[in-house]
Amino acid sequence: MSEPDVLVVGGGPAGVAAAIELAQLGLTVTLAEQGSRLGGAIHRQYVGQGESPLAIPGRHRRHWQGLALGLANAGERIRVMVEAVFLGVDGDSRFLLDDRRAGKVIGLSPKAVVLAVGAIERIVPRPGWELPGVTTAGGMQLQLKETGEAPTGAILIAGNGPLPLALGAQLAAAGNPPLAILERGEPWRAALRHPAAAVAGLRSPAHVAEAAGYALRLARAGVPYRSGWSVTAIEALRQGLLVSCQHVSGRTMQHRVAHLALHDGLATNSSGLPAPVVDGVAIVRAGDCREVLGADAAISDGLRAARTIARQLCPAAPQRELARDFERELAAARRMQRSIQTLCRAADWPIAPDTVVCRCEGLRRSDLDSLQGASSAREIRLLGRFGMGACQGRSCLASVKAITAEAGASFDITVADPVVQRWPLRPVSVVALAAFSDV
Amino acid sequence: MSAAQNSPRVVVIGAGIVGAATAYYLTRAGAQVTVIDALTPAAGASGASDGAVSVATKRPGPMMRLAREARSLYGALERDGVLSGLFHRRSTYLFARTAEEVALLESHGADLANEGERVIALTRNDLLARIPGFGAAILAGLEVPDDGHALGYQVVNRLLAQAGVVVRRHCPVRGLSIAQRRVVGVETDDQQIAADVVVVAAGLGSSPLMGIDDVLVPRKGQLIVTDRASTKGAALPGPLMSARYLVAKRAATPGQSGVSLVIDPLRTGQFLIGSSREEGCADRQTDARTVAAILRDALEVYPALARQRVIRTFAGVRTATRDGLPIVGHHPQLAGLVIATGFEGDGICLGPLMGAAAARLACGLEAQIDIDFLTPKRFPTPAMAT
Amino acid sequence: MSGTLYWMGDAVAFRAGETVAAALRRSGIDDFGPALGELRARYFCGIGSCQACLVSLNGDSLIEACLTPAREGMRLSAALPLAEEHGHE
Repeated sequence: MSEPDVLVVGGGPAGVAAAIELAQLGLTVTLAEQGSRLGGAIHRQYVGQGESPLAIPGRHRRHWQGLALGLANAGERIRVMVEAVFLGVDGDSRFLLDDRRAGKVIGLSPKAVVLAVGAIERIVPRPGWELPGVTTAGGMQLQLKETGEAPTGAILIAGNGPLPLALGAQLAAAGNPPLAILERGEPWRAALRHPAAAVAGLRSPAHVAEAAGYALRLARAGVPYRSGWSVTAIEALRQGLLVSCQHVSGRTMQHRVAHLALHDGLATNSSGLPAPVVDGVAIVRAGDCREVLGADAAISDGLRAARTIARQLCPAAPQRELARDFERELAAARRMQRSIQTLCRAADWPIAPDTVVCRCEGLRRSDLDSLQGASSAREIRLLGRFGMGACQGRSCLASVKAITAEAGASFDITVADPVVQRWPLRPVSVVALAAFSDV
Repeated sequence: MSAAQNSPRVVVIGAGIVGAATAYYLTRAGAQVTVIDALTPAAGASGASDGAVSVATKRPGPMMRLAREARSLYGALERDGVLSGLFHRRSTYLFARTAEEVALLESHGADLANEGERVIALTRNDLLARIPGFGAAILAGLEVPDDGHALGYQVVNRLLAQAGVVVRRHCPVRGLSIAQRRVVGVETDDQQIAADVVVVAAGLGSSPLMGIDDVLVPRKGQLIVTDRASTKGAALPGPLMSARYLVAKRAATPGQSGVSLVIDPLRTGQFLIGSSREEGCADRQTDARTVAAILRDALEVYPALARQRVIRTFAGVRTATRDGLPIVGHHPQLAGLVIATGFEGDGICLGPLMGAAAARLACGLEAQIDIDFLTPKRFPTPAMAT
Repeated sequence: MSGTLYWMGDAVAFRAGETVAAALRRSGIDDFGPALGELRARYFCGIGSCQACLVSLNGDSLIEACLTPAREGMRLSAALPLAEEHGHE
């Protein structure tokens, strides 16, 4: 393996689009994907024979076919590494990949880097969120896309925004529609209060068509869509889960289910990622990890990132004509996302003392409250162990921030020391790291 | 100081383990104490080190004697409740991989025994009986059963709480206020804090304050934390330390860069593995090349580490001195200034004892232990403005 | 189904290309064993981020069930018990 011109991290639409564009501009690319196939969350590939039984909108299928073709045409210029997890940048400015197929960590020194690692799902902790059988909606959807099979037993989806709709419709298509979809916000009421947001949402025919398709499928399967409802607590039963829900009006309801999918929105993913420039190497973020704008915009953003890098690496080369106005495309996607956010806005609820906040270390809110006087991220980490577990604070970052903000302080517990490049961003086997080599 | 003899105003610069211990002993002596740190408590080496309260690796002679005193003090503070739950007895296991290292362990064991320390010479089979899974490269070992363990940041937190002192955080000291060859306070960005005595325990940050140049040197150490090998306490009965560590420690002229391997079983069930000794490096970056070298060494010594994942790497910067000895004592020229720094990798072990000594000096008393050999007077001091 | 892996010694069928987590959950295994704080390991985020689905592979270091493709003959077990064999104190 030789040193690529550009390292692209993340094999979703943004990363693949960026890699193809860079290759077409004459650069060599290493495209690293942590899973065993490209596609990312949105284009997770079905492992079965033939067509997936799910309702994948034609637009998404066509987009992925286009990207797959582009990859094939790029040939040798793009080296795809799957099962390769990005570990960050070390003190020698090496970009580290945990090459799990080879069983070793490698260090790359590319001229530029595109980070396209996708969004993360926000999950506000409530009692019982840590139980087996509770997944994120995105997590449930990934397995559904991968296997074409819905989990067996009763399913409840409780979320915020459009993803629960897509998941519900796809579960229905796979033969196990959810008991209900609970939406924390009240989009219909919000539409009356904010007609401009509702109109803005309608300006994207592709998204409207997609939503209508999901709604139709949910209606046919008789899945109720209940707005204003939140999950307040989850208990493990001898078999399955007892899910307590509350409406904004104060009404309550309980569901017995085998599976619960939670989703409190999508957020950008910047936790631990390196700064825009490390030792002269430009690092450009693209797609939902930079700004949550959805799958279509991710492609535009990937192309934009590639052009940005090409301008820096080969300034003398004639710039390809800008057939597309990326900024306009991104702005349209931003309008759409803002409209969704306005329509689905819902307040977070306070986190109760015995609610698990840090799952990795099994820590609860009361553990955080007991750290009175710890007034830096470093102290909360060292003395309280928040942010010190295997996920390195990614999962409890937002909760700790919200809880400490109640007391007038605010910490990013994933940052122990702002001047130090943090790695590994993910746990890595001792053996693989001991086998480290440069390419 | 006569007016304030009974209740001197003391500013302690540095909220590491030495500063925290100094503050603790000063408040017990009735002083009015202010602790200032450029960052936050334990933000320097105290919070980025292993927790060895260990006599096993000390240089024979006065440093070994000090370490024995320091370890006893930990025991006393543990019993008195000051450090309850934070100090734990455990053996240190030194191991040898070459014939030279075997010989070194023998002479080091004799030195320890001479100081009255209990030691147990271990054959390879003895070692395997205590720690199943020791690698094939290990030839022999030395067990020092009376050593102990304490985590620096926990000790700092506890001592400051016991002292009842609120640290002034993010408050770098820009200089000392001096009048007639006497320190009368410290200057920060936004204020002047009057003091009868100032204690400088600021690690590398001590250099500009103590006015003694070219004495303190940074020596970086990279460390690795793994996931848990056990959920029921430490996964080994004690730390495994390479005899090569002794080579570095016993050397008359310190300063070699390299790796001195320690596999330290944390009470969480995780391992802390270290560390490099990188002369002159004050940054806190870690690099894959060094980390991988440490891990290869660690896997050779204890192959069961292959089951673990690395979840974190970090670097601490030790404050070393040109002659390898800490600096504790009155400033040679300025009255009202006490210095306590330069503990290199021994700060956690020596911290409480040295804090106690610095507190006594600050109160105008003699230290209760022999620390004359640590006096700053041993370094030439440039003429100071008065 | 195209292959077999083993969870705590029991055979679990999988399809080529799917992850360990997908295979386990199809077989009704949602509880991946004990985790710290008396919690349980389980599939959650699906993208390797939350580290909640860790399992032990062939007694070696832990893997994320959500990222790791199922392979023939894998011997998987809960993450923690492996570790308890050699605990002290």
